[in-house]
Amino acid sequence: MKRYLIRRIAVMPLLLLGIATLVFAVSRLTPADPLVSIVGERNLNNPDVVNAAKARWGLDDSVPVQYATYMKNLVRGEMGTSFSTRKPVFDDLIDRLPATLELTFTALIGGTAIGIGLGIVAARKRNKLIDHVARFFALIGSSLPAFWSGLLLLYVLYARLGWLPGPGRLEPRSAPPGRITGFYTIDSLLHGNMSLFVQAATHLILPAAVLGWGVIGIVTRLVRASLLDELSMEYVRVGRAMGLRERTVVNTHALRNALLPTITIVAFTFAFLLTGAVLTETVFSWPGVGSYAVDASRNLDFPAIIGVTILGGVAFLITNLITDVAYAFADPRIRLS
Amino acid sequence: MSTISLPVAATRRRRIRPPWLRGPALVGVIVLSLWVLVAITLPLWTPFDPLEPVAARLQGPSWSHLMGTDALGRDVFVRTLYGARISLPVAAIVIISSVIVGTVVGAAAGFFGGWIDAVLMRLVDITMAFPPILLAMAITASLGPGIRNALIAMALVWWPIYARLLRAQVIAVRQREFVESAQAIGAGRWLILRRYILPMSYTPVLVNGTMDFGQVVLLTASLSFIGLGARPPSSEWGAMITEGATNFYQWWIAASPGLAILLVVMAFNFVGDALRDTFDVKEQGR
Amino acid sequence: MVRYSKSRSRSVMTRTAACAIAGVMILAACGSDPAAPASTSGSGGSTAASVDGGGNTGGDTGGGKALVIARQMDVNSLDPSLAYCDTCQIYMTAVYETLIGLDSSDNQTLVPRLATKWEGNPAQTEFTFTLDPKAVFADGTKVTSADVKFSWERLKALQGSSSYLAGSIETIDTPDESTVVVTLNAPNSAFLAQVNSPYLGIINAKLAQANGATMDPATDTAETWFLSNSAGSGAFALKSYADGNELRLSRNDKFWGAVSEFPEVIIKETPSAVTQRQQLEQGAVDIAMQISADVASGLDSTDVTVTDVPSFNYVYLAISEKAVGGEALTPAVREAIRLALDYDNLVQVTAGGAGQSQASPIPNGFAGSADLPKPVQNIEKAKQLLADAGVTDITLDATFPSLNVYGIDFSTAMQQVQTDLKKVGINLELNPVEIAVWADKIGKDGIPVTMLYFAPDHTDSSQYVQYFSMAEGTQWQGWTKSDPNPEEATVLAQAFATQDATERASLYKQLGQMMIDDQVIIPIVNPDLFLASRSDITGMAYSACCNLDLSKLGRS
Repeated sequence: MKRYLIRRIAVMPLLLLGIATLVFAVSRLTPADPLVSIVGERNLNNPDVVNAAKARWGLDDSVPVQYATYMKNLVRGEMGTSFSTRKPVFDDLIDRLPATLELTFTALIGGTAIGIGLGIVAARKRNKLIDHVARFFALIGSSLPAFWSGLLLLYVLYARLGWLPGPGRLEPRSAPPGRITGFYTIDSLLHGNMSLFVQAATHLILPAAVLGWGVIGIVTRLVRASLLDELSMEYVRVGRAMGLRERTVVNTHALRNALLPTITIVAFTFAFLLTGAVLTETVFSWPGVGSYAVDASRNLDFPAIIGVTILGGVAFLITNLITDVAYAFADPRIRLS
Repeated sequence: MSTISLPVAATRRRRIRPPWLRGPALVGVIVLSLWVLVAITLPLWTPFDPLEPVAARLQGPSWSHLMGTDALGRDVFVRTLYGARISLPVAAIVIISSVIVGTVVGAAAGFFGGWIDAVLMRLVDITMAFPPILLAMAITASLGPGIRNALIAMALVWWPIYARLLRAQVIAVRQREFVESAQAIGAGRWLILRRYILPMSYTPVLVNGTMDFGQVVLLTASLSFIGLGARPPSSEWGAMITEGATNFYQWWIAASPGLAILLVVMAFNFVGDALRDTFDVKEQGR
Repeated sequence: MVRYSKSRSRSVMTRTAACAIAGVMILAACGSDPAAPASTSGSGGSTAASVDGGGNTGGDTGGGKALVIARQMDVNSLDPSLAYCDTCQIYMTAVYETLIGLDSSDNQTLVPRLATKWEGNPAQTEFTFTLDPKAVFADGTKVTSADVKFSWERLKALQGSSSYLAGSIETIDTPDESTVVVTLNAPNSAFLAQVNSPYLGIINAKLAQANGATMDPATDTAETWFLSNSAGSGAFALKSYADGNELRLSRNDKFWGAVSEFPEVIIKETPSAVTQRQQLEQGAVDIAMQISADVASGLDSTDVTVTDVPSFNYVYLAISEKAVGGEALTPAVREAIRLALDYDNLVQVTAGGAGQSQASPIPNGFAGSADLPKPVQNIEKAKQLLADAGVTDITLDATFPSLNVYGIDFSTAMQQVQTDLKKVGINLELNPVEIAVWADKIGKDGIPVTMLYFAPDHTDSSQYVQYFSMAEGTQWQGWTKSDPNPEEATVLAQAFATQDATERASLYKQLGQMMIDDQVIIPIVNPDLFLASRSDITGMAYSACCNLDLSKLGRS
């Protein structure tokens, strides 16, 4: 176990290096260069301004030199300065990460809870109407384009009915709570501001629902399948034969075993959540990392593209590691190799 | 020697049929067949050109224009149908090219092992370390937006999963008795790989490929939606939804392509589910 | 580059420019004399603001509700010498004051702001300004001639997008604390209009220098500081700015004019016109100004006031023979393109009918725009021209910035252009990209057919010639790499040296015709502007120079 852990962690820097290199290579495929966003279009014909900007942003070095500079900086935690926000990419990401995390955690927790519930119901009422309804609902979740369902829900629940608040993390008029964690819901509570908490929480509902629906789809399917597997096991049949109540069999024995694989869901849904976050944040004007990524790739903002993609890769790596290890702890039968 | 592999393949084939043509999977197959049929025959029977204004702009649904008209007065329903002529081929090309590349890489890694395996698998690990959409966005942005570049980006992002799958299968199969027997009687490595190992290994890849089809349709639309995919006046579904977002109060403009995506992706999920149950293939982390 | 602005009456505008010039000689020669009340009340231009701004801005009303504006912000920088965007106009006007203001109640009269008076020599090469002794910056220090010198010299030196406005300045002398003497490198009849532009706002030199501001783009490090601080004398000061999220201004309680009733102004990033409308309807925001005609239709709540006003904004096609892939675009072919477009339909499709077509790059209402023939579709003639040129079925790259400005979706507009041109055998390959990518491409390879937008930086027609004509060194001469048209430069110099307004208008009309004959810029639509606000907001008015003047807004 310990050796496995050490080996997994030891490979991390290598993988990180690979990630950074790959992203750097990708961002240099481009035929366009980002000078314009720096000097402004009117000055593009002015060689003095152009050269000054090139020197200042290191754009006149050769690609290998740029790569070396980039790697050196990266090791120090510097990701360069965004061409469009003109702030260090690292700071931008730190600024925007809490918004994304608050949204994805809400969607993940809500989606997982509902998904487990639906999965259990579906497995216990296998092939009954409720099973079909639950699975159909889940399936829609994993088939819906988030950017469309988001628009649709906004149209109906916000614009038409006015039941839920619109885009953004808070009402435009409200000022965010003083930053402690960057999660508006938590920070507003810490500041004892209940009305702000309600606002932050209600603003989370729509985007988290759009994002969480997909999680429901994934979790329901997995829980149902693994619970059905467990229910077909010898020990369940034995338990039933011994006259144990169905509820006892399912809840105490089968369910515990069936939920083990759902640990992997966290890693499994992470890519899904990030994908969803990119689209959901765009639809809901959510000032997170996803909308930052979209802006960066539209603007050919190289430092920002590199930074955000590396962040995605790193987050993915870490989540994978954590779930693998957690899974190994939870289920000693798993041989780690 | 070949008799050893025969029974395995035969039993598998026999088990395929029932779940395939039952319940949701059947619905999925029918829906997909209809979409393919529509996509192929469309120009023969549609009354409107998808790129030409045919009526007053921003008209609601009516009998003459089933899903209304858009900001330029084009028929939204016809445009949606034409969208299938983009989304389906794009997804097919992405999946097929990814499967081919993934198969070659995975087979090479699994069969030869050693440093080839190490190098190829690290490449796979690194590529798979990214959420697909982020890497696809970065690549598309770098190559320049457009459906062709989006396609390249998606293929670049998608192949590693099949490489990993196939490698695992190849390694498993390689250790089986009949391979050792074949080696014992002096069969060449290529022959063994082609004749014995690959046919036993590709099932999970094909099943996953089918299941991923819907995801690629979604990703294509997503890239178009954020402005990196199809160019106007293309009626690619994601691009149409972007136009629908601009004309938000004319709900039909986005509803039509949105429903199309939903139908296609759900159909692929139905079929993929059935295939997975049939072949008992583990789902991969996408 | 990116401007909203408007005047209540188009015909007035022609006079505005005329007045601006007349004002060189005798202050405020046209219309009523705003200088008198301003100087007697002792608070300069800002008093004029409270007089015409709905009468609701005066006094310390104390802890009122914040004013919220929904906007797609295009902020490129908040450094006053580098900022150049629509939102920057609003920001600059609220936070930094110019020497001369524009009376927004009639949009024609130049009024005192930081300067109490100004005069120019007859040759229009030297201008003298006298500063108001009461003017102070937000930190309480006095506004002096040294600040003016610093601000304008830095604007010119940093070579940002707005630097061209200070381009004619040769030297600035400061004989005493309240006198500024500007010497120009050539006659410039537009100089006072340029001084009126928000980008010539005055910076607190000491404060800025203490935070890295210099006269040299290579050593200047103040831009980052300016992202979270401001150094102006206006009614508001910068509180915070979060890119892609919001811009917050706090009231300048030490403002030397009429203090605003809003303790805070929040400009909230709201990219979609649809969301802007929804938030306005729900009362989440007070003002939304980027609503398109399509989105505005059906907005009939009694809580919301929508005014549809003519604007000077327009969207245009630019055609370039020298661009890579544009070889076929000879003058005759370009004329054919101009004739192939259905302008009435374009106004329908792009602006929902709320707008009009425009003859030359000088927009309807500006001096020189009257009496020029509006473009008319003539497919037969277009086909004839193409046939004569031997051009059949060509395909051209049409990369354009993927934008939605003034309610006009570029993608929709370009698709309509594509449809029209297809009818005469010209195929466009549409390629929407972000503005930064677009600008990179047009700067290097050029683009055969593209689309862009423009709104005035100030009230003088000269800016259009400086930007759109093929005179050497203009923006579009550079982008299209066209052979310079020296005639346009000559006539422009003539206009700069001409004092008589009528005479100048006829020179600009001549220039307008020349720009039509260049066949490079084809205006597509001059859309109306939808001013939408909650009904309790007072003082909503567009300033021809400054977009929206926040200091004039109030709540009833």
